[in-house]
Amino acid sequence: MSRVDLRRALRDVAVIGALLSVGVLAVFVRARNLDATAASVRHARAAAIAVAAGDAPVVATAAAGVVGPPRQSPRHDFLRRRTVMTATGPRPLGGPTAPAVDKLLYDAAGRFDRDGAFAGLLSDGTGRAVAAVATPRGPAIAITAAAEPRAPLPWLAVLGLIGVTLVVAGAGASLGGRARGVGVGLGLAAWALPATAWGGWPLGLAVAAVAAAAGWAHAVGATDRVGASVRAHRVALSFLGPAGVAMIVLVVVPFAVGLALGFYDHHHGTWTFVGLDNFRRILSGDGHGLSDPLNFWFILGVTLAWTFVNVVLHVGIGTLLALALRQRWLKAKGLWRVLLIVPWAVPNYITALIWKGMFAGEYGAVNSILAGLGLDRVSWFSSWATAFSANVTTNTWLGFPFMMVVALGALESIPRELEEAAEVDGATAWQRFREITLPHLRPALGPAIVLGSIWTFNMFNVIELVSGGKPGGSTDILVTDAYRWAFERGEQYGMAAALGTLIFLLLLGWTLIGRALTRGDEEARP
Amino acid sequence: MSRAVAGVAALVALVGGCRRDDAAVTLWHAYTKDERAALEAQAEAWNQDHPEQRVELVAMPYDGFGDKLTSAIPNGNGPDLFIYSQDRLGDWTAAGLLEPIEFWIDDATAGRFTAEALAGLAYHGSLWGLPVAVKSLALFVRTDLVSTPPTTTDALVAMAPTLRARGVYPLAYPVDDLYAHAPWLHGFGGAAMDGDTPTIATAPAVAAAAFARELVAREVVPRDVDGALTATLFAEGKAAMAMSGPWFVADIPAGVPYVITTLPVVSATGRPAAPYLGAEGILMSARAGDKDAAIAVALAFTTDAAARRRAERAHQVVPNPGAYVGDAGRDANLAAFRRQLDDTVAMPVSPAMRAVWTPYKNALGQIVTGAATPAAALERAARDIATYARTAGGS
Repeated sequence: MSRVDLRRALRDVAVIGALLSVGVLAVFVRARNLDATAASVRHARAAAIAVAAGDAPVVATAAAGVVGPPRQSPRHDFLRRRTVMTATGPRPLGGPTAPAVDKLLYDAAGRFDRDGAFAGLLSDGTGRAVAAVATPRGPAIAITAAAEPRAPLPWLAVLGLIGVTLVVAGAGASLGGRARGVGVGLGLAAWALPATAWGGWPLGLAVAAVAAAAGWAHAVGATDRVGASVRAHRVALSFLGPAGVAMIVLVVVPFAVGLALGFYDHHHGTWTFVGLDNFRRILSGDGHGLSDPLNFWFILGVTLAWTFVNVVLHVGIGTLLALALRQRWLKAKGLWRVLLIVPWAVPNYITALIWKGMFAGEYGAVNSILAGLGLDRVSWFSSWATAFSANVTTNTWLGFPFMMVVALGALESIPRELEEAAEVDGATAWQRFREITLPHLRPALGPAIVLGSIWTFNMFNVIELVSGGKPGGSTDILVTDAYRWAFERGEQYGMAAALGTLIFLLLLGWTLIGRALTRGDEEARP
Repeated sequence: MSRAVAGVAALVALVGGCRRDDAAVTLWHAYTKDERAALEAQAEAWNQDHPEQRVELVAMPYDGFGDKLTSAIPNGNGPDLFIYSQDRLGDWTAAGLLEPIEFWIDDATAGRFTAEALAGLAYHGSLWGLPVAVKSLALFVRTDLVSTPPTTTDALVAMAPTLRARGVYPLAYPVDDLYAHAPWLHGFGGAAMDGDTPTIATAPAVAAAAFARELVAREVVPRDVDGALTATLFAEGKAAMAMSGPWFVADIPAGVPYVITTLPVVSATGRPAAPYLGAEGILMSARAGDKDAAIAVALAFTTDAAARRRAERAHQVVPNPGAYVGDAGRDANLAAFRRQLDDTVAMPVSPAMRAVWTPYKNALGQIVTGAATPAAALERAARDIATYARTAGGS
């Protein structure tokens, strides 16, 4: 036997065994808590049955007795008085200074009146249980005095298992050859026993499968390679660790939860698994016509139109202004540049609110100007076309500076000599733009257009704050529609999450297409 | 080394200082300005009398207050008591967030409050809070523009020609908002909810919506107005009257002469326009630590004497008839809101109501601009609401 073999075997069972033991202990805690709950509820029910039979409760109770029917207050039907028959005689329940435990009896009697006999844990988190059974005089109710004691963590068993694992793996390593992997696998398989006892045979089988996989990985040297690469990249991993944890907590977990929610239905606080039904409702239009804003395809159409119109305007205006800023005759270029970037520097929700005020029907600036010119006032948010135009105007104001900055940067990189040479050669202005300027602009504008289209696609602030979806939700885009499912339509979080997933898939597809389209440009970059 | 020790000591002190006083009853609220000052004075008085059972007030921003309670209470991080209006009772009781309190309330305690205010905090046969304030719309009238406030809707409509000639709208309110439209809806004999069932495209609702359309068409009311613009128009004298609630008083600049009065009678039906009555109450979390202490605080904060101090200091319309003595009894604004209370409709508590607001707003928006007929727009809203109410997977 070699000491190296022994060390490698012990290292592998220590790492994998630690992970397995954490999982097995979590299963133990869950099984133990379920046992304690079941015992509490059993005791409460036994006590209630004893009270109903007129006997003393068999377990310690905080309160027990037969509660009489409610007597309604003459003024308010929701105010009811009850009495409880205890061993010491009848006693009224309730009043401004009544003891807290009486309230448990009173509330249990109310629940009995609604739901019939029941037994369960109290909702106050104390672990006590309450049970009510029917008697001719009213429900017999018992509340246990304290939570059932919970079994302590089985440290001895865990220590024993750790010992067995190490000994078996060590024995395998000392035999050498095939026995090395078998030893690791068998040693770890010992954890399948407690997993079966506390979590049932499927969990036991799963643990055994993990153990077998670990043994095989050890035998073929896979664990050695992982260990070696961890050691080799120790420094890099320690730098990546914090960011990795942050990514998992802040990005991966919420993303996974969001994906999962799409398969559930949420209704008044209860979640029901509905499989693909949310997606079916969304994609089928759910019985709404194509011109109905509740139809996904209508909203998708609006979103695509919104994105296309905006990006065309952003790029067009941005490029034109960048070209203008390059003209030699223009004075005070720095000042112009700063002024044209200002719309971008103002937070977009503030800009959106200002534009909304300007589009206001009676007293808005836009209508005041129209009236001043002798034109009719327009009720901007009462028809789709005007409301959509108001949104587009606002977002164009917000969006062109970014494209202008990108275009300016690209234009700066065009050597003046190139253009001068072309001019000398007799190229027209249009030829110079097509043959020199445009090829230089494209590599920079391509990625900017992909980015800008994704921003616009998800531009919640402008839609929500300017038109608010008016009229009748028809100017909503997918993100604002998802928001409405979550917060304005009875908290249907499942529908909102399913829409979110669809938005993600759409944008993922678009990003891949955009990357394919711009890759050629980047390679052709001069 | 000594710096490290000092750092650790500071950290320990900080953690210790941040720990909540577990014995105290915590009360969350979203009050600001006068209402907050009155509540804080109340808490201070209680804490002086009960050093062993203190109240700890936590002021929350109003936006998202409800959602914060919804998420904090089930995790055990919520307050013992909180002040909120009754409009989420349906959701919160269904989710088991609230403690029913009728156990502690005898007829003598219930007798402190008007029956309507107390009933506003009852739902599904239980009482869930003690009322601290009631809020409803009433009519704010600029006395420099209107000498006699209209008592009927016909009189209101008849004011338009003269006032419009001076560039003034007779009345301003958010025409497309169901809360502000509710007085007409109820005045025409309609209602948005019947128990847990929305009742949207009914004949009275269509008549009320047609009336709102008429108000806009005849330039009695400007369209495209929200709450903030209502306040501006009223303050600048571009609207002679405004339909709003007790909070509107703070928006009126000094020097604007106004009175508050009850809403007019709907001429078509002869019934008074009846706004929603919102009851704001102290509610108890189902996870409150010491419920006996919590109810003692809630009871002490809602006595007639406590209510009177809130009425005087914060001008709250309190639901205790016994509080209106002294200054509180002489306050003309409070008296006007109390008269309006006789013609109100309790705000629906059912969770189904939450899905009604937006479709109704869309419908009213289309109706008042003439983009759709009242019947068509309301039928469309009813269909949308039915869609939202349906759960995925059937039912």
